[in-house]
Amino acid sequence: MSLAWSFYISTVLVYLGVDVMACWGLNLQYGYTGILNFSFIIYQSAGAYVAAVLTLGPNTAGSFQQYIGGANLPFPLPIIAGGIAGGLLSAVAGVIALRRLRSDYQAMVFLVISLIATAVVTSDVGLFNGPAGLSLIPQPLSTALNLSLVGYRWFYVGLTAVICLIIYAFLRLITSAPLGRSLRAVRDHEQGAAALGKNVTGLRMTSFVIGGVIAGISGAVLVEFISAWSPGGWLYQETFVLFTALIVGGTANNAGAALGALLVPVAFLEGSRFLPQFGPPGLIDALQWVAVGLMALIFVWFWPRGLLPERRRIIKLPGLPQAGTGQP
Amino acid sequence: MFVHAIGFGIVTAAVMALAAVGFTVQFGVTNILNLAYGDVMTASAFVAYVSHSAGLNPWWGMVLGGLFGAVFSVLLNRFLYTPFIRRGARLFTMIIVTIAVSLILQNCLQAIWGPDFVSANMSAGASVHMLGMIFTTSQLILIAIAAVALAGLHGLLRYTRLGKAMRATASDPELARNCGVPTRRVIDGAWLLSGLLCGLAGVALVTELGSFDFTTGSAFLVPVIAAAVLGGVGQPYGAMLGALVIGLATELAGTYFDPTYKDVVAFGVLIVVLLIRPQGIFAEVASQKEVAA
Amino acid sequence: MTSVQGQRTTPAAQAALLRVDDLAKSYGGVHAVAGVSFDVLRGRITGLIGPNGAGKSTALGMVAGAIKPSRGSVLLNGTNVAGWPSHKIARRGLARTFQQSSDFAGMTVTENLLTARYGQRGDTLRGALLGRRYWRAEQESLTARAADVIARFDMARMANEFAGNLSGGQRRLLEIMRALMTEPEILLLDEPMAGVNPALGERIEDYLLQLKQDGLTMLMVEHEMAVVERLCDPIIVMAQGEILAEGTMEQIRSDQRVLDAYLN
Repeated sequence: MSLAWSFYISTVLVYLGVDVMACWGLNLQYGYTGILNFSFIIYQSAGAYVAAVLTLGPNTAGSFQQYIGGANLPFPLPIIAGGIAGGLLSAVAGVIALRRLRSDYQAMVFLVISLIATAVVTSDVGLFNGPAGLSLIPQPLSTALNLSLVGYRWFYVGLTAVICLIIYAFLRLITSAPLGRSLRAVRDHEQGAAALGKNVTGLRMTSFVIGGVIAGISGAVLVEFISAWSPGGWLYQETFVLFTALIVGGTANNAGAALGALLVPVAFLEGSRFLPQFGPPGLIDALQWVAVGLMALIFVWFWPRGLLPERRRIIKLPGLPQAGTGQP
Repeated sequence: MFVHAIGFGIVTAAVMALAAVGFTVQFGVTNILNLAYGDVMTASAFVAYVSHSAGLNPWWGMVLGGLFGAVFSVLLNRFLYTPFIRRGARLFTMIIVTIAVSLILQNCLQAIWGPDFVSANMSAGASVHMLGMIFTTSQLILIAIAAVALAGLHGLLRYTRLGKAMRATASDPELARNCGVPTRRVIDGAWLLSGLLCGLAGVALVTELGSFDFTTGSAFLVPVIAAAVLGGVGQPYGAMLGALVIGLATELAGTYFDPTYKDVVAFGVLIVVLLIRPQGIFAEVASQKEVAA
Repeated sequence: MTSVQGQRTTPAAQAALLRVDDLAKSYGGVHAVAGVSFDVLRGRITGLIGPNGAGKSTALGMVAGAIKPSRGSVLLNGTNVAGWPSHKIARRGLARTFQQSSDFAGMTVTENLLTARYGQRGDTLRGALLGRRYWRAEQESLTARAADVIARFDMARMANEFAGNLSGGQRRLLEIMRALMTEPEILLLDEPMAGVNPALGERIEDYLLQLKQDGLTMLMVEHEMAVVERLCDPIIVMAQGEILAEGTMEQIRSDQRVLDAYLN
């Protein structure tokens, strides 16, 4: 494989892994628990910024970028810290926003939280270097491993895959346990769940924070690879891309979320990179967004449950061999 | 400085009032949270821009922008929103739909006119001093247009059958439905009126700002929604009051604090209102009404 | 004979599983429920009837914790649960159904039943992370119990069907079955017959009578007089937020205030 292809494919694979993680996190919140978290991208971003700051080292006076905090922590601490950051920010947002509210207002509140986060980070330059963002973030273990440029990239692909597997195992534990059913009960009928003794607020927060941790980890993994992160890359529309991925792929099942991640952010958006450049700069970007919007509309209309809908969990009932899926 | 800020605030409030009243009229009648509203404003502004480039008087541009907004909104509802609702789409599905429309519209505008700012090409006119505040002629005309439009709306709501039907639907949709309202006409009327105000507001906004790009309208959307919700959903007079409050508050905040935090004030108000204000917002007091199509 | 809390522990009080005292709810100036007091006796199906707007569902909602009372007390087995959030009251042994069925549409019938019981091992984050071996045994016994309930209510054919695909009456039945999985002390039913076809309605009535014979206490809000007559004793009549009368069907029928309320 030529060097250029190697670079490209390894990059796409890392992006795929990160997007799959992000979709799984959002799926836990939205697909399983019914939370319309339109602020998802900011938790991924929190993870990225914290991981970056903890890898860049302390902020010196003459440095070209300003930021709070700063340390030179070795791998994997920045990634873990990124996850914690995502979780903490989710906890704060959840305490504010997770309450009984009509669903479109709830989505609106989350959307506005996302806008506030963007506004704050962009205007407070001392926080994370404002609109320019952070850059030149050292990649983890790059000196320790002493690999070639391409070799390091493939190492990182493997690393991303391992983290994906860990997150997958963790999510499986939660969703296959009775806790997973309780989350879906909250999603399906909140009052009914409460009438069964379930602490709806607690369950929502649990799902929301865990989703936030996963978001933070995904951001940390990505930033350590691409070495830069700025507000322009995490506007509120990015959350919409992830929602479209879930709509296309299918909610409340991890395979569907992964498929959605593959199809929307990766195959579609990356794929259009291969189109010959036409028109003025920015045209292709604009058309991409139009296409994402159309994709969402088309799928919500024709295939609202996605390509891989939530599958029916069939349970064998002792003593009832004829327990079926019943049509007469 | 305070008085100047108030002056700015009044102009902003006038434009915001146009937009907020339009938003609240449509939201009150149909219960659809139309997040593409801001982008229709932008599109209307571009229509005015095109007409101005073609040589028409800028104030004609406003009329055309208003007409575009009205027609586009009715068509948007008829051919996109209503079919989804007829299919049983629920509130959160509609959010996805309206955001999708917003993104599509916004980016079509970008595709056509590019990402750069475009000048609104309005000469500001002579300065006028009033009560210690400084206004330009065009600002005064904007305020006057807003006042006239809102007065016209007031008349329509109060004295025409359509207006009364709309008010009935906004205040008690169940009852209205049982009495045979909202008919398609009332809903179309709501979107038409709302779209007209939206278009006027869009042109007024860019006139006031001087230059704009494809994101200008959607950036204005959150303060507009904040004003509408603050004043009570479906209450046009409330929306006007809400616009005044938010217009003044954001300008004062921008003057005394960091100007970039102007927006955050509106964001914060919207969140606080949505989370705390009980009338028609909290799930307990008002049952979750479904959308009307 | 008085208890430590000074409650009247007369035989009547002991027979009452639920004692509601001066329960009221106002919205602004509107008195949806204007101070009602009644007992729900053990082992009986108490009916709560009245014309539209009488406040029956509001009263039920306050007892269940879905609506916060403006004042009053709700003694469930001696503990005042008024104002408690509904999930805490549910954990005390109160189960309820809703006017519009609250079954979990995205889960199967069996899953609906399995998720009902509070306090399952795998239901906490810690429990889930401890893995299948930690919670599997409990789930197996719950599944066996669910199978019993499904068999008893003749729902075997639909056991693995999505609840959302059931008919209206079947969903109502599922709600009741699900409530039973929690082994409640008292079951509140909010218009259980609404929108149910007559054949299924009869079945539901039979089941409710069986449950009563098993000793389950119930409070039922219902509009269909025939159903109320067959199932409920005593019957409480509400109108305009107040209780008009209480007694058997014959007593209610001959009460002038009740007749006035219904005829108006």
